Amino acid sequence: MTQVRRVRALYGAGPLHLLALLASFAIAAAAVVGWFQRPREVVNVLEWFVAAILIHDLVLLPLYSLLDWIAFGRQWERADGPRQTTILARVNPTPYLRIPAILSGLLLVVFFPVIFGLGTQTELSASGIPETGYLARWLLATGVMYGVSGIAYATAAARVRASLERDESDLKQTPPEAEEAAPEPDQTVAEAQKAATEPVGTVTAADEAAREPDQAAPEPDHTASDDAAARPPASG
Amino acid sequence: MFVRLCSLFPAFQSVSGEQRLNSVVRAFSGGVGCDSLSDMRLPSVDPTKPPPGPFGQDFWRSPLRGPWLTAVLGLVLLVGLPIVIVTGLLSNDAYQPGLGANALRRDISGPFDFYLFGWPTQPSWLYALTQGLHVSIGLALVPVLLAKLWSVIPRLFEWPPIRDPAHVLERLSLALLVGSALFEFVTGIINIQYWYAFNFSFTQAHYYGAWMFIGAFLAHIALKFKTMRRSLTSRAEVLEAVEAETASLKSHAGASLTARSPSPATMSRRALLGTVGVGSVLLLIQSAGQSVGGPFRALAFLLPRGRTRPGLLGFPVNKTALAAGISAPSVGTSWRLHLAGEQTVSLSREQLLGLPQHTYDLPIACVEGWSTTQRWSGVRLRDLASLCAIQGPATVTTQSLERGIFGHATLGHEQVADDRSLLALCVNGLDLSFDHGYPARVICPAVPGVHCTKWVSEMTFHSVTG
Repeated sequence: MTQVRRVRALYGAGPLHLLALLASFAIAAAAVVGWFQRPREVVNVLEWFVAAILIHDLVLLPLYSLLDWIAFGRQWERADGPRQTTILARVNPTPYLRIPAILSGLLLVVFFPVIFGLGTQTELSASGIPETGYLARWLLATGVMYGVSGIAYATAAARVRASLERDESDLKQTPPEAEEAAPEPDQTVAEAQKAATEPVGTVTAADEAAREPDQAAPEPDHTASDDAAARPPASG
Repeated sequence: MFVRLCSLFPAFQSVSGEQRLNSVVRAFSGGVGCDSLSDMRLPSVDPTKPPPGPFGQDFWRSPLRGPWLTAVLGLVLLVGLPIVIVTGLLSNDAYQPGLGANALRRDISGPFDFYLFGWPTQPSWLYALTQGLHVSIGLALVPVLLAKLWSVIPRLFEWPPIRDPAHVLERLSLALLVGSALFEFVTGIINIQYWYAFNFSFTQAHYYGAWMFIGAFLAHIALKFKTMRRSLTSRAEVLEAVEAETASLKSHAGASLTARSPSPATMSRRALLGTVGVGSVLLLIQSAGQSVGGPFRALAFLLPRGRTRPGLLGFPVNKTALAAGISAPSVGTSWRLHLAGEQTVSLSREQLLGLPQHTYDLPIACVEGWSTTQRWSGVRLRDLASLCAIQGPATVTTQSLERGIFGHATLGHEQVADDRSLLALCVNGLDLSFDHGYPARVICPAVPGVHCTKWVSEMTFHSVTG
């Protein structure tokens, strides 16, 4: 027991932790031996290995976080600001814009070699078919996704508008003494949002997002967002 | 130097963090024999005060990050990645690298160079299935992997960057894990798009990179499985509150995944997971389309194998006759098939057509994940073996008119013995076209497509003894 404790004090974790990591390093070392079968290629393999980490962690991730912040960063302040009464404020357009953008970006990240024709010559000699037009296909796919998202947004907005109109006509019809018992304005908004987020027809990602716009984890931190402008861009 | 570093750690238990880090710096600088550095103080290196920027606790502000999100994505990867790993290793088996020159100039005497069994011929779509899964599931996991990496990015910038030997080793292992995962995904994905941007052998780099990933992945599971299970079974809010509390109490306990000062939510976690799911489906149908083929092929609208040429012979080819350098005279009337075994025989195409013909529906399944099933007719490999006086189990090495590394392949005795293994002369009732391997090609159930040699000129049978 004291032995284990000594290891823990010296090493910072239990002996099994050390064992698991040493085993994984041993496997990695044995695997690298395989790469040295063609010594001239090893440098290039390692370049790709390191570049994969650096490009993802220090270029791709910061880049898409920054793009997201540029595109939707103002939403953060708005979500914290005073309640607005426009349809835009009641049916948050952010998910409807952001989700197709994420999906389109994903297709681009995965298929950019085909989209930009980087392998066209090899493809031609492989399949015998001139492989062009993928850029148009990607743009078309992006357009379709935004189209679906737009329809989903229009549907949600129409539902909110309809329920608002219904509430207004209810208010007009109620006698003066009953008016006091009418729902608080805040409640009306909540009900309208609830109505707007009920599933409609085919379930799209945007619907999915719209259904629970308020479910994201912790409550907005007001003190944190007050000085949001002074902060560096955050991801997300 | 590492030993020296370790020997310093007992002393670390009683000194402040700042002193600790300075002694680490000293240990390193002492190790390189630079005296002036050892006296240098680093006022900016304070474990309780991270430098501005991504190391700061308030930098990462998305309210979506948290142990629950990371655990869910981790669970999906825990289920999905083993499928990709196993099917990848099966693909190595399917190539039967121990036979002939099938290892594609890889030396298979190293630590991970083994294959487990002779590759079966039943069912005929076995390789189409395993390789289709490898590519399809691999593609479908891309958004999950990206989301997982996004969810843990604050950990990359945790402060202080190193705490103790365990932490150093774990971060090294994570670098291997992330590096090998990205390496495997990137090389695989650009390979199916025919973009050979690298100057290394894809098969070799992808295979050994996979082993590196397997090692790091297993260690990661061993170290993190408990955390994942706890994060999935505890109520998210409780978990995050506890995590945030712990992180603020012990500044060296590792960066919290939960943002300390989150920005207002503009998207729910379920919406994020939904988006990841839709992204997975979008990528999955690309590869599934080219793998299942038929009417589903058009689903692969962003992959080269989503298109075919018209007609009965329009199904995909792996390489055109033009690209393989096949000249018209070499496959004209002067073409002969040279068989070698106990005796040698040369046959013209007419003579081959005079032998008993058999017809089977068999798939061509490429390592790139696409496949196509067609109706092939030709002579059984077994019958050709008998012609050169080979009795009993035998392997066959086929040589194409195409030169180069893919111009030959060796099939195992299981393949040669199978009734459906043909030297095909016709497909879908028509003579083979040049691009499909005229005058004769091998077609064999469940083998990787590249072993179905086209434009065959020689076949050498070897009896398998024992």
